[in-house]
Amino acid sequence: MAYILEAKGICKYFGGLKAVEKVDMRIEEGHIFGIIGPNGAGKTTFFNICAGVYRPTAGRILFQEKDITGLPPEAIARLGIARTFQNIQLFRYMTVLENIKIGFHIRTRSGFISAIFHDRRYRDEEAFIDAEAARVLEKVGLAAFRDTLASNLPYGLQRKVEIARALALKPKLLLLDEPVAGMNPLETRELSDFILRLNREGYTIVVIEHDMKFVMSTCDHILVLNFGQKICEGDPATVRRDHAVNEAYFGKGLVMGGLS
Amino acid sequence: MSQNIHQPPKSSAKEPSGLRAGLVRITALLERPAWRITFTIIGITFLAVVPLLNLQSYYMGVLCRILMYTILAGSLNVINGYSGQFNIGHAGFYAIGAYASALLSLKLGVSFWLALPLAGLLAMLVGLVVALPTLRLRGIYLAIVTLGASEIIRLIILNWMSLTGGPNGLRGIPAPVLFGIKFSRSQQYYYIFLVLSLIFFFISKRVINSRIGRAWISIREDETAARSLGVEAMRYKALNFMYGAFWAGIAGGAFSPYFKFISSDMFTLDEGFNILSMVIIGGQGTLAGPIVGAIIVNFLTEFLRPISQYRMVVYALLIIAMMWLRPQGLVGASRSVLAERNIGLRRRRKPTAPAATAVKGDS
Amino acid sequence: MDYYLSQIINGICQGSIYALMAIGYSVVVGVVGLVTFTHGEVIMLGAFAAYYTFELLGNNLVIGVLASFLASAFVGIFIFKVCYERFFNAPRHISLICTIGTSMLLRNLAQIIFGPNNKPMLEVVPNRFYGQGVVGFTLVQLIVIATVISLSFLLFIFFNRTRWGIMLRAVSQDKTAAAMMGINVRLTALLGNSIGCGLGGVAGMLLAIYYQTLVATMGGSAGMKAFSSSVLGGLTNIPSAAVGGLCLGLVENLGITISSASFRDMFAFVFLLLVLIVKPEGFGRKTGVRP
Repeated sequence: MAYILEAKGICKYFGGLKAVEKVDMRIEEGHIFGIIGPNGAGKTTFFNICAGVYRPTAGRILFQEKDITGLPPEAIARLGIARTFQNIQLFRYMTVLENIKIGFHIRTRSGFISAIFHDRRYRDEEAFIDAEAARVLEKVGLAAFRDTLASNLPYGLQRKVEIARALALKPKLLLLDEPVAGMNPLETRELSDFILRLNREGYTIVVIEHDMKFVMSTCDHILVLNFGQKICEGDPATVRRDHAVNEAYFGKGLVMGGLS
Repeated sequence: MSQNIHQPPKSSAKEPSGLRAGLVRITALLERPAWRITFTIIGITFLAVVPLLNLQSYYMGVLCRILMYTILAGSLNVINGYSGQFNIGHAGFYAIGAYASALLSLKLGVSFWLALPLAGLLAMLVGLVVALPTLRLRGIYLAIVTLGASEIIRLIILNWMSLTGGPNGLRGIPAPVLFGIKFSRSQQYYYIFLVLSLIFFFISKRVINSRIGRAWISIREDETAARSLGVEAMRYKALNFMYGAFWAGIAGGAFSPYFKFISSDMFTLDEGFNILSMVIIGGQGTLAGPIVGAIIVNFLTEFLRPISQYRMVVYALLIIAMMWLRPQGLVGASRSVLAERNIGLRRRRKPTAPAATAVKGDS
Repeated sequence: MDYYLSQIINGICQGSIYALMAIGYSVVVGVVGLVTFTHGEVIMLGAFAAYYTFELLGNNLVIGVLASFLASAFVGIFIFKVCYERFFNAPRHISLICTIGTSMLLRNLAQIIFGPNNKPMLEVVPNRFYGQGVVGFTLVQLIVIATVISLSFLLFIFFNRTRWGIMLRAVSQDKTAAAMMGINVRLTALLGNSIGCGLGGVAGMLLAIYYQTLVATMGGSAGMKAFSSSVLGGLTNIPSAAVGGLCLGLVENLGITISSASFRDMFAFVFLLLVLIVKPEGFGRKTGVRP
């Protein structure tokens, strides 16, 4: 079985603080993979390690069998992993179209010479970018907002733009950091459908989330972290029943019917 | 007629009237390509014809200075305004260009037309050397390093007596010759500055509106996001620095045969602040900004000649006023982080590369 | 060998002046939370305040310290109003550029008012030497070191044993939390800035006494040295800033033994570069907001 992303024994210590402790993870290609856990569990730290923002203290990350541990974010993007951010990091003062265009940076090569002389490569690539950007906008349904300033969009649409921008990279793997944070149930449902649609088109997607309804209904496979350690991994049903997971969320004293 | 409460109230925004409407319409007009080309051609023709008006060489000198400073301010603007880096030591690259072209023609008899690009290249290399340790630094750290670099360059020039003549400077720098014409008067040299300035802005416009420019702007707007999209921040910041340094070197290289004499005290930190004030006052992040800044600051220099010690005081006050009222500068990029004045609480959580601010466990 | 020893002594003495400058700088940056370019000019104005005090009231060191402290603290208030107060919630580069403008303003006004030439400051402290041959301390050096140590001690007491000190430390760590505790953040930042500038002013006086000269443009190199020294502490940590100052003084004085005196100011820059390359965030604990 081809694992598109593998984490082996990842540890991340900030001085004395053990943010992530010996976490293993295996993601199958074509899955929607969820990473959940209570606040402070180390989810975003682990996520950032996969995305190249942090270097792990120990352990390795493998992308399509290739070791990507410690590579900077730019290199990771080039290899085909795209990510979004917890606090939507769009280019606030650029239009939606301009935001998406930046996504095509790694798929083009024009340099100074091309720029100055407007040679063949420049013209071809600019045309390519224009056409492809329009296509991406159509696909996510944002064509009407092409020239709107990113910061003027409602939150749910901003999130979509961010994902669209990530899609411009033509990634093999999408990492989404709390995509439905701050959204109402309707927006959450819409984004969930959107993610499922992307997955059907072939994108492998990793999601960090708190929203249980979203996670249970969208993910194929879930990893649960608590205090930096893996406490459970499996499909939604397994995770729902797992004793350690219930304890982590509800505490030892309460024996509830499970997560729903 | 009863109002339907489910309909939004009729828009009550008034049509902009008078001057504002006029300005809006003019700027909209300028957006159209046909008008822009016509306007540009008219502008360039006008500029080309100026020397024929036979103004006093004093005024020609002022115009030459303005044109040279458009290149200096423009190149600084590419660094500060387009990639969001913070360079306040631009005088250093200017000095390198000036001394390089002067020395090449004085000591090695190299023709100006070859010495000039070489001067630019040397300044560009020095720009790379300065940029390398600073790529990971932010804000004031980067600024101070550029400041120090500018001073080191000046001190080296000052103390390397055998090469640069030390405090005595270099004299008698030969005027450029082309097809038998000797460019020794400002009426003639004007064309050199004009052509260089036009080339600079033409090339810069094209570079900025290309993939490279987009990469620079994305780094300025949000470096973390840009990196996550594959924009190699370090590489592009270095390229940006080198580009700015190159043109500062060109400006310097053109300056020394014009002025025929250079010495290290023309390239002090004050000169660097002079160039910086043009960018800050005129505008960062647009091509017009440094042009406006160069014009304003140099005009002020002339107006304030009777009280020339107060000149820098006036610039200082203008810089402060600009930061208070319009941080992006007079015609700077309003649609960018440069124009932000209040970011309130949003400032806090950014994971940046060197100093991992996430000491507390993230979720 | 004697020569090197005397250079080390020079280094310690100058280093203590740099330490005081760096301490002042760290206080300002730590409490206000914004980095500044104006510290050099603050130092310079303190030197001039002391100069005129000595001219008018005689060579009384204590009055000189008071005058330079208060004058610079006052200038600090002006800088606060112009560069910091308005920009607490603005992007950092705005206040930074504002301080660049303010430093230009102060420097050029000083050149206009005080004239551009060096002014001699002679014999403020009697010329006595305690030692053997070349190796020993002059009275000036002893007084400089004593002043820096006593001021540091006073600062320590103030920061750690008084109510205002606690407020300053709170504001330097987390302005929002401090405000929620009922601390007047604006006033506290103003006070912290003034104290830091005041210390810078005294350092300016000490520089003038030590070199027996002062000039309106001395702020540039002084500011650079203050910054380079305090970078060792990540710009906010006071003990590390002091250590940085001492190191810089030693590096400078030992460095000019192998190169020439005209490169003296370059050492600050080289020192800075080394620290930034090796450990950009500086030493010292990670308390407070790092700029």
